[in-house]
Amino acid sequence: MPPPCTPADHRLSRRRWLGSAAGATAGALGLGAVSLPELTAELRKQRRQVLFVWLDGGMSQLESWDPKPNTPFGGPFRSIQTAVPGIRVSELMPKSAGVMKHLALIRSVSTQDNSHSAGVDRVQRGDPKPRGVTYPLFGSAVAKLVGPGDSGLPPYVWVKPMNGGFIFKDAGFLGPKYGALALGDGKPPENLLRPAGLSAEDDAERNDLRRLVDQRYAADRRKEYGEANGYAFEMAAQLQKRIALFDLSKLPQKDQDRYGTHDLGRHLLLARRLLEEGVTFVKVTSYGWDTHGDHFNGAASLHPQFDRPFAAVIEDLHERGMLDNVLVVAMAEFGRTPRINGHLGRDHWPEAWSVCMAGRGIKRGVVAGKTNATGSEVTSDPVDAGGLFHTWWRALGIDPTTTHYKNASQPLPIAHEDMKPVAEVLA
Amino acid sequence: MLQPKPKTPPADPTKPAELGKPIDPPAQILRVRFAPDGTLLAAACSDGLVRRWDVTADAPADLPPLAGHNGWVTGLAFGKDVLFSADSWGRVSAWNPAAKDAKPLWTVEAAHDGWVRTVALAPDGTTLATCGKDGFVRLWNANDGTKRSDVATVADTLSVAFGADGKTVLAGDLFGLVREFEVAGGKVLRTFEAKELHKHDRLQNVGGARCLLFDAAGKTLLVAGAEPKTGGFVQCTPLLIAFDRASGKRLWQWKGANDNEGYITDLAWHPDGYVVASASGQPGQGKVFFLKPGEAVPFFVSPKPNVHSVALSPDGTRMAAALTNANSSGNGKVKGKGGEYPANVSPVQFWKVPKAS
Repeated sequence: MPPPCTPADHRLSRRRWLGSAAGATAGALGLGAVSLPELTAELRKQRRQVLFVWLDGGMSQLESWDPKPNTPFGGPFRSIQTAVPGIRVSELMPKSAGVMKHLALIRSVSTQDNSHSAGVDRVQRGDPKPRGVTYPLFGSAVAKLVGPGDSGLPPYVWVKPMNGGFIFKDAGFLGPKYGALALGDGKPPENLLRPAGLSAEDDAERNDLRRLVDQRYAADRRKEYGEANGYAFEMAAQLQKRIALFDLSKLPQKDQDRYGTHDLGRHLLLARRLLEEGVTFVKVTSYGWDTHGDHFNGAASLHPQFDRPFAAVIEDLHERGMLDNVLVVAMAEFGRTPRINGHLGRDHWPEAWSVCMAGRGIKRGVVAGKTNATGSEVTSDPVDAGGLFHTWWRALGIDPTTTHYKNASQPLPIAHEDMKPVAEVLA
Repeated sequence: MLQPKPKTPPADPTKPAELGKPIDPPAQILRVRFAPDGTLLAAACSDGLVRRWDVTADAPADLPPLAGHNGWVTGLAFGKDVLFSADSWGRVSAWNPAAKDAKPLWTVEAAHDGWVRTVALAPDGTTLATCGKDGFVRLWNANDGTKRSDVATVADTLSVAFGADGKTVLAGDLFGLVREFEVAGGKVLRTFEAKELHKHDRLQNVGGARCLLFDAAGKTLLVAGAEPKTGGFVQCTPLLIAFDRASGKRLWQWKGANDNEGYITDLAWHPDGYVVASASGQPGQGKVFFLKPGEAVPFFVSPKPNVHSVALSPDGTRMAAALTNANSSGNGKVKGKGGEYPANVSPVQFWKVPKAS
């Protein structure tokens, strides 16, 4: 396995890469004399990207990927045949059933934490062994190890409801530069554009002054803080040039109809746009999945609103030739209890739940892992968060057994060293 | 010095009295109903069975359950010598409720695409109405299950009832709208709006017009559910709204005390002129209560964990309610006494209900 590239490998600006250096570059790629569009296409083929869909609160596996109809805990819904013979999902996911030929399910996920706050962190950080450091979330880790690519856009973008901002704490010991640029409701950051009364020349002068002050500030502090501060302004400058990216009304109506105009639909459509533009890691979060009460009416309302845009983005990525580059993951911090409580709800359940994946490095149309007839136990090898990380790194072409972070010269594993990948879903 | 044992106060003869311990069927129950002659109680269960008990003696006696449904049995309605049931996979069946080894009199396998929310029988017993998650209200010939008509309502329809004269059918939806349709022709005659029974929270539509009931004269329409505060966890305050049938105007409403109390899950009209209701909220919270029309405070409340249905015998002297066992909730793998992973169940409690003074 060749060593993974580092961020330095991606620091060539797009203009230099595609302009006067095109010929040399084409030669370096072994392409001989090639046109600019061909080079662009080749660059796209080499992208490694992630779409990470997070259903915060815990989507029920029994009303989605691992239904158990007509069993004591099965609930009211039926299961339906998918496009892959032998694989059935809940009737609430008909569109995902239609694209099952692109998907891989792991039904044997079994993690350690049944609380939201701790569970979200543990799962998204890969539940590493405690080492006295704060590990990065998967998005920050990919931003570091895969790098920003050729887009000029931030490598880790988080599309979410409510507020946005720069979420530096996602980066843990990697340093704030690898935090998430959160787009609240998918909108660009506030005050992104230069105010009307400020000329470009004045703005440039102000930035020169800012850089000077930043240099003095950074001189007496850890390198990461200076880098992060300057990086935020570089990001803003790039986003200013790409402001049209956020205006989904400019997209064909059929795109908007396909994904739906509800929050999760719009946010997944924006995610597709961001991935098209080359953003390395796009996380899309939906809240409100913690259905302790009136769960079945809740699922009847919620699940179709995930199903429609999720199937749309899978098909869309496939149709655009992007599914071979983009690793897609859809999951939560846990599943939901088979036992139905008195409020006709399902409670938190890390014991036996499901994750859905697709795309780069992932087999198509497969299921790995099993639960028992009632969904109360995993009956095959359980997969913990560390195992998921091993699987995802492998899918991205990174060997987690030989690749390490360097935390101030301390090597740290990028996935829990006692876990292994789910080989059945790896292409 | 020994303290004298406090005397148990005598039961208040004007209040309902519990009749023994609950019976303990091994499933959760979504609906209970008495037969018109008061001799039978039927229960729509989460394991696809319609359970039955002979309730002529003091102690209810098990009868063989009616089998053949899938998913949850969600709707029950008695006619004269007939019981109609519906399930969450779309099937509707008719049965002879007293037959020991009952086979369906008729069955429509796909009466709806999926979840049939409930069923109602016209006063003359000739027409059965069903409503479903698929947004349809359908009318069927009660004697053979042939379809009479379709009325599409656009939204998930949670409740259905016939008008007193049987010429109209009313359907309550997820958005708190209750539409009244002509039985012949399906024309929408009017809409009763109870929009506070619905809330759109984040991605979720929460609530809906869960129960419909007419008073004995058929002049007052009761629409019940809850006023939602949040989806997800679902916090909502029970809410009952009374409309004048003729004018469509609101007459009065009753609202619970807080948003842990949950939904009103079932309604019955007592022959003495008051509402009997059940409610289920956060795990462990629930009650059966009696409310005189227009009054702010129920005159009888029996707190019970998560009551999913309540039924009155035709003469109003007995009441049955489907409760929930204690400790029904919990994150992670809760273990039973034998180390097993237990399912929750619905004990059925009976009460003797005195006549109003």
